[in-house]
Amino acid sequence: MIDLSVNFAGLKLKNPVILASGVWDLPYTKIIDFKKLGGVIYKGLSLMPREGNPPPRITEIPCGVINSIGLANKGIKVFNREVLPELKELGTEVFLNIFGESIEEFSKISSLIRDVSGIEVNISCPNVEKGGVYFGRDPETAYQVTKAVCENTDLPVIVKLTPAASDIVVVAEACQEAGACAITAVNTFPGLVIDIDSGKPLFERVVGGVSGPAIKPLALYKVYEVSSNVGIPVIGSGGIGNYEDVLEYFFAGATAIQLGSVIFTNPLAPIEIIDNITKYAKEKGYSNLKEIRRCVDG
Amino acid sequence: MVTFRILPVIENRVLGPYTLLRIKDRNMHKEAKCGQFVMVGFPSSLDPFLLRPLSFLSIAEDSFSLLIKKKGRGTEKLSELSVGDELKILGPLGRYIIPPKSGILIAGGIGIAPLYYQSLWMSHGILFYGAKRKRDILFSKDFESRGFTVKTITEEERGTVADLVRENLEILEGQQIFICGPDAMIKALKDIIGGYTKQAFVYMERRMGCGLGGCKSCAVKTDSGYKLVCQDGPVFPLKEVSYD
Repeated sequence: MIDLSVNFAGLKLKNPVILASGVWDLPYTKIIDFKKLGGVIYKGLSLMPREGNPPPRITEIPCGVINSIGLANKGIKVFNREVLPELKELGTEVFLNIFGESIEEFSKISSLIRDVSGIEVNISCPNVEKGGVYFGRDPETAYQVTKAVCENTDLPVIVKLTPAASDIVVVAEACQEAGACAITAVNTFPGLVIDIDSGKPLFERVVGGVSGPAIKPLALYKVYEVSSNVGIPVIGSGGIGNYEDVLEYFFAGATAIQLGSVIFTNPLAPIEIIDNITKYAKEKGYSNLKEIRRCVDG
Repeated sequence: MVTFRILPVIENRVLGPYTLLRIKDRNMHKEAKCGQFVMVGFPSSLDPFLLRPLSFLSIAEDSFSLLIKKKGRGTEKLSELSVGDELKILGPLGRYIIPPKSGILIAGGIGIAPLYYQSLWMSHGILFYGAKRKRDILFSKDFESRGFTVKTITEEERGTVADLVRENLEILEGQQIFICGPDAMIKALKDIIGGYTKQAFVYMERRMGCGLGGCKSCAVKTDSGYKLVCQDGPVFPLKEVSYD
């Protein structure tokens, strides 16, 4: 029996594979056995409902996608009433990704969160006018937001960072100091697609968030930078498509990983990756993830 | 039940300006209903990355067929597939509809595909069908042999399907209408037919990420905010769809 469990933030996940926020919703239960996942992070919730950006909201790039969704969501109150009861039945650890346009909004929404395993603070979305990446680029604001969330909840707080910060390590350190118990590195990279028929940006908001295998080496380096410099666990995220990618993230210092846009190209990837990590461990004679990690620690 | 499987292509046939792909599958006819679609992609390939949403053209006991219009890299690659090549298939997806026994279908270009599939569930009706060129018009005889009156129009000869509908407005009175075509056509029809029937529906298409309501990409503007093609559609009441 291979033990894939990981511990962080006082939680024990049955394995290190977490479904990232923004790529899945409840209809995925039709195709993925959620009980097999280490955890899931529910898409960015705000205090009030958000319509999201005008279409088009997504397009393909070589080996990836770029999106401009704009955190469309029903708001925390409708979520608590309509979605939360179903999430509690998923049989895996559920985290909520939360978003605010001000520190006050972050405080308010944090105080309304209940019955989940933890909170992931979004200070990294590139697709909004206020908050998002604007908070995550600045260590002082990142500190204030994290502190506001931590003061309004007893749940473990993870902060999801943007690769667009000029020094992601400084931002991560600020979040740690403010009380974060883990860092997710990283959200999408800000990017641009031009429609050559119109000569104008494809998305109304111009910028979009780039994800998928195209960004994997970029995101992996951010994980390496953060995990080499901060003391709290790092959850690696960015372009993971198979179990080999997961191993790279482990060896770069990630405690757990998130899967995002890979489920667009293969919705069964989360389960296949868990099965393949198990198979890899068996073949190499490892009985748990610590042993896998130790093989490079010497 | 929604499944994600790797399935082989058993036929690739040029049909006018389009390609008909037939995919071997003994389950789809048991699972899929009128109005639904599949997401299609290339196995072991990260480029093109996304699956493509495609309507059913028809479903048999041993296979289902898709009609492909070359529009970009993905559809280009799809139309070049050979017999024996495999595809990733996710589906069936979307809300199904219960088609009426008879009614009016309005198709523009490749929009004929889902309406052809819907017509297989109907006993008779009228098809208004517009395309750019005469050679783009498909299935006319097929529709007629199944009790449909077919009225066609082409831009190279006379005008658009909206013109054709405008000339035949009295036929629409009180009928259920189903529309599929480009946005400009839907917008024009919305203005024309609003007063003649309360029961007009439209098959919508948008750039799609996941097909399962996860990514919120395929947003359609409606009178009550954005709705998703993959989850709330693909078929919407015409009066709900907003082009303001």
